[in-house]
Amino acid sequence: MLKCKHAVEKAGALVDGTPLTRRERFALRLHLLMCHHCRRYVRQLRALLGFLPRQAEPLDDARTDAIVKQLDIPNDRP
Amino acid sequence: MPDSLQEDPHFIARLRQGDRAAFGQLVKAHHNMLLATARTLLNPADAEEAVQDAWIAAHRAISKFEGRSLLRTWLTRIVINQAKMMLRKRGREIQFDPTDDPDALAHRFHGDGHWQQPPQHWELSSPDNLLTRSELRRCMEKHLHFMPDNQRLVLELRDLQGLPAEDVCNMLGISASNVRVLLHRARARLFEMVDHFQETGEC
Repeated sequence: MLKCKHAVEKAGALVDGTPLTRRERFALRLHLLMCHHCRRYVRQLRALLGFLPRQAEPLDDARTDAIVKQLDIPNDRP
Repeated sequence: MPDSLQEDPHFIARLRQGDRAAFGQLVKAHHNMLLATARTLLNPADAEEAVQDAWIAAHRAISKFEGRSLLRTWLTRIVINQAKMMLRKRGREIQFDPTDDPDALAHRFHGDGHWQQPPQHWELSSPDNLLTRSELRRCMEKHLHFMPDNQRLVLELRDLQGLPAEDVCNMLGISASNVRVLLHRARARLFEMVDHFQETGEC
């Protein structure tokens, strides 16, 4: 029987899609079915990851141009 | 430009032929994410410099990009190499031994592996909690700042950039199990922090 401590370690894989063996997956699902603390952990871990500060904005045109202009300068730094 | 368009073979062919506009699109789409990655290891000014240098290195090497990995994996690898060089210049180095920092949730379990102190119920999703949410986000940023570099980097690559685990192992030169442990430790720290925040309202 999977212990909570190990279920919590394995549950990360459920959240990010890392493959588990069939046996691991079964043991984890069974544990979660019976343990509401671990279910809460998994649910809240998902919420937490959704809440992390993300930097996915595209760069503005002026700064993009500035970087592209730099590309041709040979050996710009010692 | 969405990721899928950038992985398009025509776009990659244009890049390899040295198409300026295509390279500009690449910079535009990826710069801020690459900067976020560099910042997990470096101060903001050094991170800026590392990413600039990475673009120069990428521009030199793009004609040899064969499309065997995702473009963003390829770019991230270049940025990490530049960041490591920068760290070396500063006399620092990043270690990937996950055991130098304990599991932040370990104290919540009995010796037999059952919860001793189970998680609180979080009220993250109620819409009237905007103030709390912005405080929580600030608190999270603070904790990210104090997290060990190796955990912050793995969290960034896996949970924020969504890079495949295998790519992360390859670019950092560490085993899948070390990536897993570092990611778990990083998440455990944040979980512990949010749980404490929910209970006390304090960071």
